[in-house]
Amino acid sequence: MTRFYLDVHALQTVPPSNLNRDDTGAPKSAVYGGVPRARVSSQAWKKATRDYFKAESLLDPSELGVRTKKVVEVLADYIRDADPSQGQADALKLAAEVIVATGLKIEAPKRKTSAKEAAAEDDAAEPVPQSKYLMFLSARQLDGLARLAIEGAADIKAFLKDKDNKARAKQIADTRHSVDIALFGRMVADSADINVDAAVQVAHAISVHRVENESDYFTAVDDHNKDTEPGAGMIGTVDFNSATLYRYAALGVHQLAANLGEGLRDDESRTTPVRRAVEAFVRGFTGSLPTGKINTFGHHTLPDAVIVKLRTTRPISFVAAFEEPVRGNQGGHVSEASARLAEYIPDIERAYGNDDSTLTWVLRVGPNTQKLAAIGTETASINELITSIGQAVAERLEKPA
Amino acid sequence: MSVLTLRLAGPLQSWGASARFTRRTTESAPTKSGVIGMLAAASGIERDDDEALAKLGALRFGVRIDQPGTRVRDFQTAHHGVTGTSMPLSERFYLADAVFVAALEGDRALLTTLHASLRAPVFPPFLGRRSCPPAHPVDLGLYDDVSLHQALTDEPWQAAPWYRRQHHRDATVSLVVLRESHEDEHDADFQRDQPLSFAAEHRRHALRTVVSRTVDIPNPAAAPWHPRHDPFEALEESA
Repeated sequence: MTRFYLDVHALQTVPPSNLNRDDTGAPKSAVYGGVPRARVSSQAWKKATRDYFKAESLLDPSELGVRTKKVVEVLADYIRDADPSQGQADALKLAAEVIVATGLKIEAPKRKTSAKEAAAEDDAAEPVPQSKYLMFLSARQLDGLARLAIEGAADIKAFLKDKDNKARAKQIADTRHSVDIALFGRMVADSADINVDAAVQVAHAISVHRVENESDYFTAVDDHNKDTEPGAGMIGTVDFNSATLYRYAALGVHQLAANLGEGLRDDESRTTPVRRAVEAFVRGFTGSLPTGKINTFGHHTLPDAVIVKLRTTRPISFVAAFEEPVRGNQGGHVSEASARLAEYIPDIERAYGNDDSTLTWVLRVGPNTQKLAAIGTETASINELITSIGQAVAERLEKPA
Repeated sequence: MSVLTLRLAGPLQSWGASARFTRRTTESAPTKSGVIGMLAAASGIERDDDEALAKLGALRFGVRIDQPGTRVRDFQTAHHGVTGTSMPLSERFYLADAVFVAALEGDRALLTTLHASLRAPVFPPFLGRRSCPPAHPVDLGLYDDVSLHQALTDEPWQAAPWYRRQHHRDATVSLVVLRESHEDEHDADFQRDQPLSFAAEHRRHALRTVVSRTVDIPNPAAAPWHPRHDPFEALEESA
């Protein structure tokens, strides 16, 4: 398939906040261009994107994965759904055998140490084995494994001893990944051959300007304090900063297509799952926000500007436009940051890009981002942006390689 | 011999050679396994294709430290997807604000292919960790009939403008070059970053020689040389 990448760039301002903190409670930071910057780690924003998929119901549950150690129990439920004649105990046994056949190691969870809990557990049935690590399986994979288990239900051990059947189990666990696995990857420490390499690369977000963390000293009054000289009921500090962040992610659409494999539903066209995944990713990445201390600071903001490029050559981050920190002398950073990008993007595209095959869209808010209007096709809303991207992706996918 | 040079620069990079378990450290310069991994990924070599990797591993590798950067520690938490209980905490180390020139010496045809695949990569390049995309396209140049050391001496200083300005008094800067040794060089250290296999089940690395040299590179930001102020000159005249 033709290789192509989707680059997503965003400028987003957050007011005093602490989106992503380190072990001392201070907002994460980095150094760039010789000055300290605010930083939000890539893993924090990937988590926010995944949560957004669920919160906004961007994807059908069947397109998402479940991440659990209790794979045996989950698969047993699928088996019983597919074949209600199976008893719970039989379903668990079938599930355990099939999971082992995929190459995943499972073990009985350790007994609780306290005497009370141990006594309680003695009354309960044998503990159900769990995988040693969190296992990320798609609904389609669980469906497939359940069907395989039922096929061999008569004598599951003998059935899975057959090399072909065992290979089928492994293959089911290794194809038709859920959208979130296809995007963000899967790591299974004890069965590395069913790992999935993520199709998306998310950079740490960094501020376009110099940022020093600040500390908020607070006191809280005890309403029931009747002392003649009432002091504070509690004192403390919260670290925070405010920043205009440059955010960047690159999505290998060809890799996403390979990870997703065949259509999610048989009646869909080949490109539908890829298109849906791309649309969900762009919407999720632009709209989501790490929720660290969100009730303390209420930092609910959305990007001031989003630039999306669809290209057949290498992905290009524009972070170097901000290596020299934005000074913001005229108040605010968005205007100067937009001017920087408006100058930098055509320059780097001329030097390294391929204008003939690259499509560019811009979604922007307010007069501060005016300079970005000429960078690409302007879209009026996030919906229009995502529809245009989805269409272009589908067209490119359908074009013969 | 031909040499392919790369510019490795970005807000964050991380090059682990001996990182284990929850403490993921970084070396102070790019590792051979990291750079070869990037080239292998760009040309679409699958993780378990040890044969194709061996050809890349046979290239001689060197790196020049153009802007050393600073070390940043990142603290990461993870939570169980279902029960919400916390998973082991991990520490990751990054080099912030660093710039390197990496060079690979070997067969021209192979280097030409690698050079081309960096322009249209199958898997996107990253600086040691996926969350660290490069700030510019990484390919610098492909040179013929030049040695690894010569290429690392000829390549102009790639440091950022602000960093060059800090050294404006120096007409040349001394940069450290870490490269594989020749047979007649006996002061080599060893580093375990010679990639043998990137297979997900079992990554394997062998020891590789590393010699440390310095090279003098012109500073394009050097200010004109001001004559040294000597208060005794005046005394000599009056005597």
